[in-house]
Amino acid sequence: MIVTNTETIAGYHIAEIKGLVQGNTVRAKHAGRDIAAGFKNLVGGELKGYTELLTESRRQAVERMLAQAQQLGANAIVNVRFTTSAVTAGAAELYAYGTAVIVQPA
Amino acid sequence: MVELIIVLVLLVGGYTFGTIAERRHVARLNARESANGSFLVTQVKSFPAFSKGSMSPQIVLAETVVASDYFKSFLAKLRWLFGGEVRSFHSLLERARRETTQRLVEQAQEHGYNAICNLRLVTADVGGSTASRKGAAMVAILGSATAYNYDAPSS
Repeated sequence: MIVTNTETIAGYHIAEIKGLVQGNTVRAKHAGRDIAAGFKNLVGGELKGYTELLTESRRQAVERMLAQAQQLGANAIVNVRFTTSAVTAGAAELYAYGTAVIVQPA
Repeated sequence: MVELIIVLVLLVGGYTFGTIAERRHVARLNARESANGSFLVTQVKSFPAFSKGSMSPQIVLAETVVASDYFKSFLAKLRWLFGGEVRSFHSLLERARRETTQRLVEQAQEHGYNAICNLRLVTADVGGSTASRKGAAMVAILGSATAYNYDAPSS
């Protein structure tokens, strides 16, 4: 399945629009990583533990969105966007949404 | 008295190691950016110079979570008293964005593309309740772009 964050896909044209598809995950912070992050906060720099957490969240949200698109019978998702929101202290939701379409080579 | 000494040690330690880490990161970023010089990065949606008949475009995603060091957070707290630009955080966010962009570029390269368009960089606060932390900021930069092949000018 082709996934893009642009509205059109170069080299293809949109034959049919299937509709909005979305996926989200809510993840809580990991106590162990939090303590490690506390140390990193003293010297600064990248927090690899949290980066991995975010990567995993994104992957899951996109997977759920792809599953929905497949159910609709689409072969591509265009204009994918991401937003985050803090749900409670220590938990964040990552929301991915896009438009499922059927594309054909131009 | 003991607390004051601890704070001073943390400040000096944070400043020293923070500055060293920052310089190393910036050096690495410069090296990666110059190595990826011919890679086209744009934030337009129109697939500039798209190479006809090449691979179908695909989304690339990357994220970076960075933390400031103790000294910077301390400076930011002082700034809170007087207002104005918090310069100490400027470098932090700039590095996070450059890092995310380079990760997108490297991911696209891995899959055989040589350009990305529609680069979007979004900030997310992952500090939870930042008031409860020891005062250091945690910022996440979420980057997304569409990777494709373009007609690279042959030098």
